[in-house]
Parts: sequence; C-alpha cells; structure tokens
Amino acid sequence: MLELQNISKQFDQKVVLENIDLKINSGEIVSLLGPSGSGKTTLLNIILGLTRIDQGKVIFNNEDLSNVDMKNRGFNIVFQDYALFPHLNAYENIVYGLRNKKDTASAEEVREYIEFLELKPHLKKRIGELSGGQKQRVALARTLVTKPKLLLLDEPLSALDGVIKESIKERIKSIAKEFNLTTIIVTHDPEEALTISDKILIINQGNISQFGTPFEIINQPKNDFVKEFILRQLQIKRQNIYNLFGEKYA
Amino acid sequence: MRNAKPEMRVIFIIILILFFAFLIAPLLVLFFRSFVTDDGGAGFSNYMEALSNNTLISAIGNSIKVSGATAIITTMLAFTLAYAVNFTRIYQPLKSAVKVGILIPMLIPTITYGFAIMYTFGNQGLLTKLFGRNLFEIYGFNGLLIGYVIYTLPAAFLLIHNSFKYIDKKFIIVSKLMGDRTLRSFLNTVVRPLLGALGGAFVLSFILSFTDFGIPASVGGTYDVVATQLYQAMLGSIPDFSQGAVIAVMMLFPAVAGVILLNYLERFNFHYDKFSETELTPSKFRDSFFGVTSAVVLLAMLSVFVVMFIAPFVTAFPYDLSFTWQHITGIFQSNDLVSVYRNSLIVAVLTAVLGTIITYGSALLNARTPIKGKQTVDIFSMITNTVPGMVLGLSYLLLFNDSSLKGTFIIIVLCNIMHYFTTPYLMAKNALTKMNPDWETSGELLGDNWIKTVYRVILPNSVSTVLEMFSYYFINAMVTISGVIFLVSAQTTVVASKINELQHFAKFNEIFVLSVLIFLTNLLVRAVCDALQKRAAIYKK
Ligand SMILES: Nc1ncnc2c1ncn2[C@@H]1O[C@H](COP(=O)(O)OP(=O)(O)OP(=O)(O)O)[C@@H](O)[C@H]1O
Ligand SMILES: [Mg+2]
Repeated sequence: MLELQNISKQFDQKVVLENIDLKINSGEIVSLLGPSGSGKTTLLNIILGLTRIDQGKVIFNNEDLSNVDMKNRGFNIVFQDYALFPHLNAYENIVYGLRNKKDTASAEEVREYIEFLELKPHLKKRIGELSGGQKQRVALARTLVTKPKLLLLDEPLSALDGVIKESIKERIKSIAKEFNLTTIIVTHDPEEALTISDKILIINQGNISQFGTPFEIINQPKNDFVKEFILRQLQIKRQNIYNLFGEKYA
Repeated sequence: MRNAKPEMRVIFIIILILFFAFLIAPLLVLFFRSFVTDDGGAGFSNYMEALSNNTLISAIGNSIKVSGATAIITTMLAFTLAYAVNFTRIYQPLKSAVKVGILIPMLIPTITYGFAIMYTFGNQGLLTKLFGRNLFEIYGFNGLLIGYVIYTLPAAFLLIHNSFKYIDKKFIIVSKLMGDRTLRSFLNTVVRPLLGALGGAFVLSFILSFTDFGIPASVGGTYDVVATQLYQAMLGSIPDFSQGAVIAVMMLFPAVAGVILLNYLERFNFHYDKFSETELTPSKFRDSFFGVTSAVVLLAMLSVFVVMFIAPFVTAFPYDLSFTWQHITGIFQSNDLVSVYRNSLIVAVLTAVLGTIITYGSALLNARTPIKGKQTVDIFSMITNTVPGMVLGLSYLLLFNDSSLKGTFIIIVLCNIMHYFTTPYLMAKNALTKMNPDWETSGELLGDNWIKTVYRVILPNSVSTVLEMFSYYFINAMVTISGVIFLVSAQTTVVASKINELQHFAKFNEIFVLSVLIFLTNLLVRAVCDALQKRAAIYKK
C-alpha cells in the first residue's frame, strides 16, 4: 500500500503541490489526471524519489521512504518519451539492468516478459527502427525486468495513435493484474483515465480536486472543476460521436 | 532538482583547479605585469613607453590595415563560395570539391603559408617564372594579405555556409512571385538573413589575422605588425617582459571587442527550426558565373600550396627540376628533424586525449548535471575563445618561467588545451544537450551509478562528437605556432616552431618536408576519425 501524507512542494516560492494526502492499495491502477502545469509530473517524480519533498511523507508498506534515495525505493518508471538507449538494440535495452543485478530476473522470467509483451520478433532491432508502440513495450519490459514494487507511467499513451493506444491500454491493465503491480499513470485525457484505472486522482493547481473510482467521478463530481473541466470534455466527445454515428444509423 | 553526486563534485573541482591555474592565474599575472614599472612600482609607465614607441604604433596601424583588408576580401570570397555551394546548381562534384578543398589550409601551419607564397610569387617563384617577372612585391602587405586570406577563408566559409542552411529558400520563390527584381530579391532573401553571419565572418577574419604569428613570421619582411612586435619584445636580442605584457594586453583588446561584437551579431542570425528543401530555379548565367568563380578561387588557393609538394622532390627548385629523393632521405636521416616531428606527435596526441577528456567532462557537468556553479564553465569557455594564442603563451611564460613546468611538454599541452577549448566544448555541449534528459535517471533506476551510465550510455551515444573533438584538438595542436612559440625549449621544439628557426638558415626543403609531414599526418587523423564516425553512424541507425 502506498500512502502519501500531506505532501507539499514549492519551486522557488511557487507552490506546485499542496497537502496531497491519499492511500493507494496494492495492485490498483491509479490515474493522475489534471490540466497542463497542475503538478502531475511533479507528484510522480516525488513518488519515484527524483524530486525532494518540502513537507509530508511517502510511505510504502508501512515504511517511510521520504528520505530514501530513488535507487533504493525499488520503484521504476517509464518516461513519456521512453528514454531508451539508441545505441543498444531492443533486447540489450531490456536486459540493461541485469548487468548490475544479475539475480533480479532469471533468463526464464525475461523470456516471459518478452513473450507477454509480444516483443520476440523485434529483439534484434535498433531503437530507431521500432514504432512508437513497440518502443513503449520495450520500455515497459526494461522496467518490468527490474521487478519494481510500484510502476509509474508518465503519459504512456500520449505519443501513440488510435488503435495502438487501445491495445497498450489493455496491456497495461493486464500487466497490473498479472503481476499484481500497483501502477500510477499520468494523463491529461479524462477518457483515458476513466477507462484504464481503478481510481482517479484529479489534480487542479496543485490540490486534490477529487479522488475516487470512475463511477464516483461520473456520478458524484465533487466540485465545479470536475464538472466543468473533466465531465464536460467527455460530454462533448460523446456528442461528437453521437452526431457522427447517429446520423448514419438514424 | 536533484542533488549533485560526489563524483560530479570531484570532476568539477578538478576542472575549476585546472582553469584557475592555467587560464585565470596566468592572465592575471600578465595583466599585473603590464603595470609593474622598471623600478618595481606600479603605474602606467609601460603603457606610456609603448605609446611613444613609433615602431609599435605603426605596427598597430599596419595590423589594423592588413587585417581589415583581409576581412573584407575573405568575407566576400567566403560568401561567394557559400552561395555557389548552397544556392546554385553548379556541377555537383565542384560543390563537393569546394566544401572539402577549402578546409585544406586548416591542416597546414600558417608559417608554411608564407614560404609557399614566396615560392609561388617571389623572386624565384613558380608564377614569377611562368610570367617572366615579379607580379608584385610579396614581402610585407601583399604577402600578409594573401596569407591571411588563405588562413581565414576556411573559418569564414564554414560560418557563412552554416548560416545558409537557415535561409528559407521558399522566401526566394515568394519574392519572385511578388514581382521583385533580381537585385532586390537577392538583397531581401539572401543578404538580409545572412547579415549576422557576414558580420561574424568579417570580425572573425579580422581577429584571426590580427593575432596570427605564423604568416608575418615568414612573409612579414620589414612590415611590422603587432604579433611580430610582441615576439621581438620577448625573444628579441634584449627581452623586455614589461613591454611584452603591454603589447599582449593591447592585442587582447581587439580580441575582446571582436568577441563582444560576434555575440552581438549572433542576434541577427535567423534560426528556423526546420530546414526546407526546395528546388532551385535553373539559371545558366548564375550557374556558369559561380561555377567558374568558385573553381578559380579554389584553384588559386590550392595552387599556392602546390610548391610545398614539388620543391622537396626536385634537385634545386626552381632551377633544376629533376626528380630526387635526396632531400627526403636527408631529412629522415637527420635525428634532429625526426625528433622534432616526434615531439609534435607527442604534443598533438596528448593535447587531443587530455583535451577531449577535459572538454567532455566540462560539457557533461554543464549540460547534464544539477551541480551548482556549473555556469562558470561557460565563462571559462568565453575567455578561452577571446584570448589569442600568443597572449596565452606569453602569460604562461610569465607565470611558469621559474617553475619546473618550464620547458616541458605538459605546459605546451595545457596551453593548447586552453587555447582551443571553446570549439570542442561547444560541440560536446551541443550534442549532450540534445540527448534525452532522462537517461541518467533510467540508468540509475536500472542499477547504474552515475559514472557507469556515462560510460554505458552517454559516451556510446556521443562517439561521433568525441571523434570530432579529438581530431579538432589534434590538428590544431599540430599546426599552432602562436600558442607555443614562447613555450618550446630545445628539447620540446615542435615542427611549427622549428620551421621558424629553419627559415634563418634558408632551409626551405626541410620546411616543406616537415609541412608535408604535418599535412599528411593531419589528413590521416581526419580520415581515420571520419571512417570511425561513419561506423558509429551505421551502428547507431
Ligand atoms: N524543476 C522545476 N523548477 C521550477 N518549476 C518547476 C519545475 N518543475 C516543474 N515546475 C513547475 O511546476 C508546475 C507543475 O509542473 P508539472 O510538470 O508537474 O505539471 P504537469 O501537470 O505534469 O503538466 P503537463 O501536463 O504539462 O506535463 C508547473 O508550473 C511547472 O512550471
Ligand atoms: Mg507532465
């Protein structure tokens, strides 16, 4: 279980996060949803241990990690642009971490991850030869091989187009189920957040606007921001789709 | 953001110490030395003395005159060549020839230019023979001008050539569609966007000519310029350290002004994000004009160096043109000259290896770490860009003359590293900034420490830049004379400074053979680096 207690963060006088307080259960997928500049990436980096907190605590399985180095927290992240190493091929990227800690994953396990992510035909390819969705899966594999206790994903879908987006979405869901992996996903797309996650954390201007299941968000929006900003977008989308298909099938 | 790692601090401290000891301290000593009066007090008397020295004043005037003339001619030629390469449809191989050929002078020491000019235009010169008379007096202004133009043309060309890439060729089409006449269209769509680069080329050529020592050392004759005055003050019959310091400070002034001007001109440069590829309109007249002009300029420039390859292989140039190996074998039998060449190699290899490590480390700290005070490296880079080689060399002489560093290879190497720091530093910084900013974090999460990520990820992804930096340092260390002329000892003489000695004994065959050796060595290093770069590029794909 991940617990964030009263987390606040300022960048040179500017408050970026304020009193973030919540609990995430093991194996849950949680989306961080909010407009640009609301502090999503900052919160993700705080959990990861990349950014120091000014106030509050990060607690994981009852252990206070607030002052533990990023390296020793045992979490891992897939960056928005993947940060794959272009001089290595897909396979070399995936097993990069094993050079440092041989015993994290056995050869058998690595093969399983590769099978699971359907990367077998692409292992010998250079990063530049992979498509966006393939890169995404290689980055996921590279991260999973380290057996993180918590998986963080920064905008994992924003660089992908239509159909691939949906398939990666399913993939992320099944990873979380299969490996019982607590997963936190940053996104600014309400539809994405509501369809992928067990719970959604809506942030606005550094504050929690609402934290709840998709059902709660849709049916009991807590404030105007959630109504106006989040739900409104979905309604417009629905209307557009309705218009398109409505005409055709009317 | 994140905290600096201890390894970063260690590297930073080493770099700070290096720069304070071998850049800041020597320059401060030079500056203070220029105010130390003959009786040991402080004051302006050295400057007064310098300003009342008519030879020096006229040397300054001469330097300004000839550097100014060089700057104008070089800028025009460089523009013409860059235009031909970028905006005409001249014969493709000619374009490639211009792009490669123009860089050849960079592989040869400037002091050799002078002798090549003598053997081409001088009393017994190639062209003089062909025309049956002296075309003009080469010692002095004319010789300097030719030498400086050849010397500055490559740098000016590269600068303008790079800016041409930023010109949007669609503007030309738009301007044509709007009904602009040729001249107006040309001014608006080509000259206007290039103003910054043209100004930059002018200033750069001026500074390079103003501060070069090799060319005036060979063809200067009795035409005094600042560089030769500085040399005479320090290594003449009666060395005068105070006068030397004053002249060095005076030489520094135009360089400082020039760099400030360059930074200012930078603002006029256009920076489009994307290069657009547009068909050029055909024009017979334009293409034949620029084709012929660029071929002539290139041939003229290269023809000056032809003698360098002929003279050592004939019995007695230009009287007896029968082929002989005699001079070549003579030189390889002379221990003296072979050891001078060996010295040059030692210096160039050490400069290239250590220089690349130091510059890469500096750029790494600046571009990819959160360490506090990393901006100081940028300041060091600006200073090294400003200080002319002769001034740096002299300040080393003043500071280290009584130390055990005197007369060692290491002082020459350090001087070279500082002297040529800016360009490789910017190359590395540019490459490192472009890389994904999350690699270090990824590496760390995958179990690396920082050094390990640098070694396993950052370095392999900048192989090409590292090779570029290496060859830049190597080639410049091979050809520089102004930087090392004050620092070489009998044991550490390098080829360029040896040539300066050999001229007093009129040993021109030796001069040319040594120059050819430098040229071939540089060519080889360049070729090897190119080949390795190509491999790295394929490997990365
Ligand atoms: N290192 C930093 N120094 C100063 N300010 C920062 C820094 N990092 C982020 N900020 C500021 O903190 C605020 C929140 O940034 P953050 O990147 O967390 O937003 P975000 O929700 O991820 O936005 P986006 O959707 O655009 O990625 C922004 O106003 C940003 O300018
Ligand atoms: Mg973000």
